[in-house]
Amino acid sequence: MPKQLPVTEPLDTYTLNMGPQHPSTHGVLRLRLMLRGEQIVVAEPVIGYSHRAHEKMAENRTYAQFLPNTSRQDYLSGMIYNFAWVEAVEKFAGIAVPERALVARVILAEFNRISSHLLWIGAFLMDLGAPTPFLYCWDDREAILFLLESVTGSRLTYCSGRFGGLNRDLDDDFPRRAREVLAKLKARWDEYERLIEDNVIFRGRAIGVGILTRDQCLSYGVTGPTLRGSGVPYDVRKAEPYGAYPRFEFDVPTRSEGDVLARYLVRVLEMKQSVRIIEQALEALPAGPILTPDSIGVKKRLKLPVGTQYYAVESARGHYGILLVSEGGTEPYRAKFRTPSYPNLAVLGDVMPGSYVADAVAVLGSVDLVMPEVDR
Amino acid sequence: MSAPADIVRTLDELGLTVPAPVEHPFTGAVESRWVAPDQIAVACQMFRDADYFFESLTCVDRIAPHGVFELIYTFNRWGLPSRVACRVWAPQDRPVPTVSGVFGGADWNEREAWEFYGVSFAGHPNLTWLLLPEGTEFRPLLKTFTAPPPSEYDDSLDAPPAPPADAQAAPGH
Repeated sequence: MPKQLPVTEPLDTYTLNMGPQHPSTHGVLRLRLMLRGEQIVVAEPVIGYSHRAHEKMAENRTYAQFLPNTSRQDYLSGMIYNFAWVEAVEKFAGIAVPERALVARVILAEFNRISSHLLWIGAFLMDLGAPTPFLYCWDDREAILFLLESVTGSRLTYCSGRFGGLNRDLDDDFPRRAREVLAKLKARWDEYERLIEDNVIFRGRAIGVGILTRDQCLSYGVTGPTLRGSGVPYDVRKAEPYGAYPRFEFDVPTRSEGDVLARYLVRVLEMKQSVRIIEQALEALPAGPILTPDSIGVKKRLKLPVGTQYYAVESARGHYGILLVSEGGTEPYRAKFRTPSYPNLAVLGDVMPGSYVADAVAVLGSVDLVMPEVDR
Repeated sequence: MSAPADIVRTLDELGLTVPAPVEHPFTGAVESRWVAPDQIAVACQMFRDADYFFESLTCVDRIAPHGVFELIYTFNRWGLPSRVACRVWAPQDRPVPTVSGVFGGADWNEREAWEFYGVSFAGHPNLTWLLLPEGTEFRPLLKTFTAPPPSEYDDSLDAPPAPPADAQAAPGH
């Protein structure tokens, strides 16, 4: 006679643990899915596997000592996070930044944004079973990494921002090399369109899947390309212009469908806008010092006035906010990092129920999660 | 859509908020307000109805000077700069009403404030560990926190094992 183990949940539903070591969760994320047949009834993201207490570390380090931590929160757009910390402290302390450094930061940050989006496209298409785009994206991303490495010395966890500028100047040959990379990228857009967007299998898996409504975005604070795929033209670079962004022309692409395909298309359009920004910035790159002469450097201790400040930038994943509380000391009294992937993941508990388990990978991939950024 | 100045004036007139004093100035926000702990859910509902999105919730340890936790809620809108900061001074021993029913994004943020500081949120559906391991008993972001002794399973702090006595010295150099 067959044995039966004791049943702990109603027989028509069962629980499936997706992760924490699943290849399509992009880092250590666990999704607790309750399924009825193949349909998702409850989806609960379980996070915290890569929590490193960046906020506690910030309280025990001087402002300069925290610099290497910044790009380790989001390792795919580390440059943007590094500059965000530098700019937040500069704004709080009232440190002036030379023109050349402001424009150079825009160039480097936008290259970093393109490389982050390229990696996402490759990895996302791989999730959906298409390995070819991965190789194309990797090739293009490599050109960007090579360029950024020549300026910053790192390929992934950049730490080139300094309070008052950058640690290294762009060399005379940089604009030529940068334009070469841009030309290579621009030659690829049509190829991507034919390879990915026109692919009937990709469209079948992406259209109408994982629809994110405007109200869900409002409730959870969803930002970035994920929000713009739901038709809201919110971009911190436009809403709260910072650095040298106000002087460059660019559009904020949106799509109104709110599905997986919309989020894909928004990111592709965004890369083209980044190219547009970089082209203008290379033209406008002024001569002069890259670091303000009265920079205090990384060794001396910087003291910020008493107060609280919120500073936001647009990272590759959305609204990245730094809330700094200073009590006048050389270390932050409190540093809070409002990372964009955190609400973008939280909202999935609301989005996924009703869709099928095979679509879970597509929906999860489409919001472009970086788990170390969620867990901090 | 109402401007940030309009909604905070409405809130002030309803007696829900008072303009924040200047000894800890808040920059980066268009408006900054003090909110009494038991009024925060009502104030949040008004932000929700006025199309604000939930931006962040930060807890700050103000126990040593004032005996309270400072909770900083920031709300923002998709458009012109319109960040509004609502600051709640929550006494250590009194729970704060949850706003997770109003803003879905508050759910995880409140769990974070609970596990890192011990702020309790009345009415939260699932106030449990989010980023820390289940069962963690310490509150790591409190200023009084000192690291607990390493677990008996954690041998990373032990001295490296001594080389065997018959180990050969490396040739050359």
